[in-house]
Amino acid sequence: MLIALAIRLFTIVATVAVARRPAICRVVSMGGSILASAITGWLAVRVITSRAVIDGVLARHAASGIVFGYAVTPLSAWFLMVLALIAAPVAVYSIGYFAHAVPASRTATTGVGFNVLLGAVELVFVASDVVTFLFAWELMTLATAALVATDHEERSSRRAAYLYLVMSHVGTGCLVAGFLALASRAGSLSFSVLLTGDTVSGSLRHVLFVLFFVGFGVKAGLIPLHVWLPEAHPAAPSSVSALMSAVLITTGLYGLLRLCAFGLGVPSLDWGLAVMGVGALSAILGVLYALTENDVKRMLAYSTIEHAGIIVLGVGVAMMARASGRGDLAAVAMAASLYHVLNHAAFKGLLFLGAGGMAMGTGTRRIEEFGGLLRRLPWTGFFFLVGALAISGLPPLNGFASEWLLFQALLRGFASIPGLVRLNFPIGGALLALTSALAAACFVRAFGISFLALPRSRAAAEAPESPALMLVPQGYLAALCVGLGLFPGIVLQSLDRVLASLPGVQSPVALAPSSLAMASPRDVTDGVVPLGLAVAIGGGIIVGLLLAARRVSRRVPTWGCGGELTARTEYTATAFSKPLMMMFRAVYRPTREVEAMAEVSPYFPTEVRFRGRIEPTFERYIYTPLALAVLRVAVGLKVLQAGSLHAYLAYVLVLGVLLLIWLGGSI
Amino acid sequence: MGEALRAAVFAVLQAALLLAAAPLLHGVIKKMKAAFQTRQGPPLLQSYYDIAKLLRKEPIRSETTTWVYAAGPRVYFATAVAATTLVPVFVTAAPLEAVGGILLLVGTLALGRFALASAALDTGSPFGGMGSSREMTIAALAEPALMLGLFASALAAGSLNLGTLVRGLAEQGPSLHPSDLLGFASLFIILIAESGRVPVDNPATHLELTMIHEAMVLEYAGPDLALVEWASALKELLYLTLLADLFAPIGIATTLTPATALIAVTAWSMKVFLFAFGVTLVESTNAKLRLFRVPELVATSLGLGFLALAIRFL
Repeated sequence: MLIALAIRLFTIVATVAVARRPAICRVVSMGGSILASAITGWLAVRVITSRAVIDGVLARHAASGIVFGYAVTPLSAWFLMVLALIAAPVAVYSIGYFAHAVPASRTATTGVGFNVLLGAVELVFVASDVVTFLFAWELMTLATAALVATDHEERSSRRAAYLYLVMSHVGTGCLVAGFLALASRAGSLSFSVLLTGDTVSGSLRHVLFVLFFVGFGVKAGLIPLHVWLPEAHPAAPSSVSALMSAVLITTGLYGLLRLCAFGLGVPSLDWGLAVMGVGALSAILGVLYALTENDVKRMLAYSTIEHAGIIVLGVGVAMMARASGRGDLAAVAMAASLYHVLNHAAFKGLLFLGAGGMAMGTGTRRIEEFGGLLRRLPWTGFFFLVGALAISGLPPLNGFASEWLLFQALLRGFASIPGLVRLNFPIGGALLALTSALAAACFVRAFGISFLALPRSRAAAEAPESPALMLVPQGYLAALCVGLGLFPGIVLQSLDRVLASLPGVQSPVALAPSSLAMASPRDVTDGVVPLGLAVAIGGGIIVGLLLAARRVSRRVPTWGCGGELTARTEYTATAFSKPLMMMFRAVYRPTREVEAMAEVSPYFPTEVRFRGRIEPTFERYIYTPLALAVLRVAVGLKVLQAGSLHAYLAYVLVLGVLLLIWLGGSI
Repeated sequence: MGEALRAAVFAVLQAALLLAAAPLLHGVIKKMKAAFQTRQGPPLLQSYYDIAKLLRKEPIRSETTTWVYAAGPRVYFATAVAATTLVPVFVTAAPLEAVGGILLLVGTLALGRFALASAALDTGSPFGGMGSSREMTIAALAEPALMLGLFASALAAGSLNLGTLVRGLAEQGPSLHPSDLLGFASLFIILIAESGRVPVDNPATHLELTMIHEAMVLEYAGPDLALVEWASALKELLYLTLLADLFAPIGIATTLTPATALIAVTAWSMKVFLFAFGVTLVESTNAKLRLFRVPELVATSLGLGFLALAIRFL
């Protein structure tokens, strides 16, 4: 672990040293990053296979005796492995991508930010005491903010970075408060003492749960704490967006697991319900907003919210299972969540890298200005399609595997948890089904409108394919999506070790009967062998090819209803999602303005202008009033902070006297 | 290995049988529909002639299309064929039941839909986009109701695997428990939505305002179109079989002897015919709903599914 962190540090120094030479600087910073990720991955795999916790001391403060340490537990190792699997290809991609997307003068700072971010995230995962954790957490936040503001000439980038900082610090504030309360009760700063589960009880436990849930929920992008996410993800360079979606989000999820699910003792049933509710809400609203979004990176950002929601839904089921003492059910739900963390990192990383290639080739991120890209960017298009299939939860790719497990958990939850509360599970199942079907609609739209039919702009018609250095990482991630889908058994066998280390979770050995299969535990009646389905579909395709084997001899223009068929007559992304927008108008609250410019008669308009928008409900009804209230309080407080030195001296005096009285009273 | 080989042979046989029978289902429905309208109607075997004719025609594709357009019908066809191997038809076992259950079945069909809906966007014609958008919209609305309805029957048998499920149901025999009736109603509505029948879609129309599935495949011709038509018929047959499996496990063979096989084939044909009659009856006596009224229909199905669950388990 120390070696990996040391390499990151060395890389940062080296990057600064060669800052004048952008090309070398890119190779140095990313090469170091790849090396460090490889070591992290190796370490994670070792911890997962051996089950031995690797720990050590980072620093020791002699005067107070506080030790800053790290401990790679199996749970941390799982998250580290996800990080290593994604960070390495993203770094390779960045060598090619930064050459085009980041100005030469900023190569060094971006490279440093990239490495600081990864190092900090690693430290978050392995920190074994509160101070190290919060230090790493804050470092991670600042590094991300710096990366988001890479294009700081753009007003929107600055705004995104600022919003991200504000939201993150609200979250961090909650975390600091929570950790302080916890630490003062336990009398220690070390996680091994704090998180045993019996340090707090009564209503304080509930307060702490809420504090940690809010604190980590901000980072995980859970609705309604998500507002920073769709701003910050698109503003950053694409490879950084990929890291943010695939890795940064998982720190919030890691925190939720570490504290809310397994750190505060056996969770109460209500917590599980609340977590499930927030998860389902995030999933459904995330995908609904993604569906109407026309900026490809913002669309992916909303989809990240959706997947964070799905993961948290699984965590909620696990918490309810633990509260009811069903360790076997908790195991299925946790396996689903952790599997989905890995899957989401793979396909969302892939899609963000693809979006980067598209944006680089065309100079825009608007789906409406793409079209026909598959001819110009055949490989990017192919990999994007694989990612789109995976993210829609279609078999035999990886998204299906984890959603299958989650459905199993929900069904089993209904069958095994008594009382009215279990009605929650079929509702969760129906919402999950809706979410994944809407995701399919969303990605048919994203892939079809961007890559198929005629180009909608000159930029799209002339877009160049990305260089090989950017395509190879995408190919690797696409292969990962397929592989993780076809070999669920291997994933579950390694997850088994992680689950066994969590309190109150039974080891679900029966989940993986072989490396190709998944099966539900206890009465193993339902299982799935994705490879078997792949073979069956392959057979069907061969039959189809044999039946329709005649070669295409003629190609003709598409019939345009008598008129000429151009890009302007194509179906647009906005039109594609219109039916769903109308059906869910209670959520979107759409407004539109149509202006017809006519010279002769209103029936023969020369120009029609259409403007449609959906209402940003959370921003308008929660955040704007909140921000106004904060400002009003701040203005009120101006009276106290008037800038007069005499007044400040008076405050110090008054405070001193009051303290003396208070302390004197207690002595 | 022997077991895998036997499953594979079983799968190929069953898929071939269903593929052979699927066009007949469309023929029967068309004939019954014509009878409702006091018309003569096309010959029963017309669907076979159509597919044979289309397969022999010259394949023509649009200039704007890519490989995605060619892959669409093939993947759609392949997923429908693969899906048949996951469903028990004549015997209380699905050929590939070890490969997966209901969730895999739903996922497989969704994969086919994804492929065809993407391909529809490839021609650049607004019809393709319109059909694609509407198809995905209706599928998205139907999915939760489908899941809930399937959950209700799955929980009754304690398994999401269709083989196990049908064995359990065949043992219990047919039941007229209210939750079964509600579950049946719920899934019947979804069947209509998923197979593109009136009142959700009209398979006989070519008006741009009302087409859904037809708009999506409007640009296909020749062998490509034959695959799409055949796969759609197969999918509909599959949904009817699934309904028969879940709610009328009568006559299905538990052991395979010539006598039970004969009974099973007869019983299956009767059940499918009966459900097909139901579909025709609904189609002939209802007007097509506006697209924006479909959510109400699907919500009804969702409510019924939820009630079915609640009645049985609370």
